[in-house]
Amino acid sequence: MKRALTLVIALAAISAVALVAGRAQAAPTAGQDTNLTGAGATFPYPLISKWIPELAKAYGININYSPTGSGAGIASITARTVDFGASDAPLSSSQLADCKSCVVVPWALSATSVPYNIPGVNGRLKLDGPTLASIYLGRITNWNDAAIKRLNGSLNLPDLKITPVYRSDGSGTTYNFTEYLSSVSPAFKSEVGVNTSVSWKTGVGARGSSGVAGVVKSTAGALTYVDVAYSIANKFQFATIRNRAGKFATPGLRGINAAVSKLPKKVTSLQQLKIVDPPASAGPLAYPIVTFTYVIVPTNSSKAADLRKMVYWAVTRGQQFGPPLLFAKLPVPVQAFAFREIKKIQAT
Amino acid sequence: MSTTTTDPAASGTALERRGIPLGDLLFRGAAAAAAYGVVVLLGLITWKILDLAWPAIQEFGLEFIWTEAWNPVTDTYGALTFIYGTVVTSVIALLLATPLSIAIALFLTEIAPRRLAAPIATMIELLAAIPSVVLGLWGILVFGPWVAQHLEPWLESTLGFLPIFSGDPSQAGMLPAALVLTIMIIPITSAICRELFIRTPRELTDGAMALGSTRWEAIRGVMFAYAAPGIAAAVLLGLGRAFGEAIAVTQVIGGADYISRSLFAPADTLGSRIASQYQGATSQLQAGSLLYLAAILMVISLVTNVLAQLIVRKFEKQRRAV
Repeated sequence: MKRALTLVIALAAISAVALVAGRAQAAPTAGQDTNLTGAGATFPYPLISKWIPELAKAYGININYSPTGSGAGIASITARTVDFGASDAPLSSSQLADCKSCVVVPWALSATSVPYNIPGVNGRLKLDGPTLASIYLGRITNWNDAAIKRLNGSLNLPDLKITPVYRSDGSGTTYNFTEYLSSVSPAFKSEVGVNTSVSWKTGVGARGSSGVAGVVKSTAGALTYVDVAYSIANKFQFATIRNRAGKFATPGLRGINAAVSKLPKKVTSLQQLKIVDPPASAGPLAYPIVTFTYVIVPTNSSKAADLRKMVYWAVTRGQQFGPPLLFAKLPVPVQAFAFREIKKIQAT
Repeated sequence: MSTTTTDPAASGTALERRGIPLGDLLFRGAAAAAAYGVVVLLGLITWKILDLAWPAIQEFGLEFIWTEAWNPVTDTYGALTFIYGTVVTSVIALLLATPLSIAIALFLTEIAPRRLAAPIATMIELLAAIPSVVLGLWGILVFGPWVAQHLEPWLESTLGFLPIFSGDPSQAGMLPAALVLTIMIIPITSAICRELFIRTPRELTDGAMALGSTRWEAIRGVMFAYAAPGIAAAVLLGLGRAFGEAIAVTQVIGGADYISRSLFAPADTLGSRIASQYQGATSQLQAGSLLYLAAILMVISLVTNVLAQLIVRKFEKQRRAV
């Protein structure tokens, strides 16, 4: 009995080793001998995972991407432990200086949704920026608050405590969300501010999108923010947000495209790509919590040719893989900006 | 092992000179290398932690320890929230786990029929094999909501006059984290206690019972006295585990940056804060501060370990005196 068990375990171990070894052998033969390693944002990870096999097919470039978070992506590329970094937040001027001749190229565009869990409410919740900021500042604490009722005339909101849920780990979604709340609420800007992780005044923190989703699912009265693809994949009910045009917009592709429709015809700096809370002229559909996400590439590197190919492919042909995952295609002026930045990537 | 002349393995003098001393030497070398290697590794790790924490140590000094702040936007950091969270969750876990573990161990060694004892013991040890991340997931999805919907309202209605048991129930907070830690340390402490009780010489308890003491008196007077230093060590081992646990706690504690009076409210611990924010740290100061937290955690663990040894020694002395 015991010997049989040992035999079974040994066989399992041998086959596992064989399997791993086989895969390890198979991997390099799939493409040619160029490998790029990257690390950073988790937000564009679903899209990057689609790109990886396509890039291997197109150029034989094997990409190894670790979704470690925007902060880690910036740190890794600054230390040059990877070939490229990815971040949802554009680099600050001091970060850019630390990175020593890096270019920051926008390569994907998506939105942050605001899911909620209010039992017994039929119909979609409507919110606006100042109300959302007050909820996260702990000033509005109940769903039957007058400010929320005013926005939701038809909904029968219960007497229920609001539990704001936030990401306890550093996250590009947090950056996008706090960027929006800071731009619509001076109080939020001065008391909390914008970053991939901030000091929240109230609420419950959880780790990762799955963590906040778990808390929202099981807490009546909870509210959170996650990228829209995650919300849709998990069939969350999410709020519509009032834009400057005074309409309540949804974070779909049309909402994202409208939000970036009023970018300058010629984009010359990253500052112009701050697109939260777009102007009223962007139209009634414009969803206000939208963000670009960026790839960070050193301008001088031995792998410059491959990096250039990869980023160029991503901002052109790669864009077609976005819409099914709720990443909108890059607008033309942004693509042109990306081309100009890509040209700066030169071999050493 | 000492070899004697009657040992057949060491009959020839030639063999003694050539073979065995060489083997002995190799064995000694390997054992020493392993032992010193661990010491050197610990030294290197400590040095590296201090090295990486240096920007934060320079910026905040010792004040960091009693500052309640964690703001990546303004780059101001302090450890008080997390030291408080670590100590409170671990102490609650310890207070709950110790009597439970001793009870489990007593049940398994003294009360349960032997056929039942072995499988139950195995099951409890299996509890230790659950990866902490899975336990954390269970905490988010099942246990936390149960705590928020049933346990915390009940605590508030019966003990609500205490500030620690008042406030809004929350599925992520200090209490759920402490309870998950309790579940994690019970297998360790109960397994050690059981081992200790099994090893208590039968003659001692039999003797006590022969002198007319009841079973409970024998357990209390003889078994506990005999096993006391071991139990103390087991408890402190559990405490060490509770201090260091990061992932499961991160998932259920709610990651707050401030200290709340209520045990229901979100909080955070040293390990949990490091686990949740190190990868996404946006500034060098934030990364340094997280490693400063790691250094504090190491010091706390060191102090508990030294205390554990002192306690064990004191018990040993008492026992010898008796």
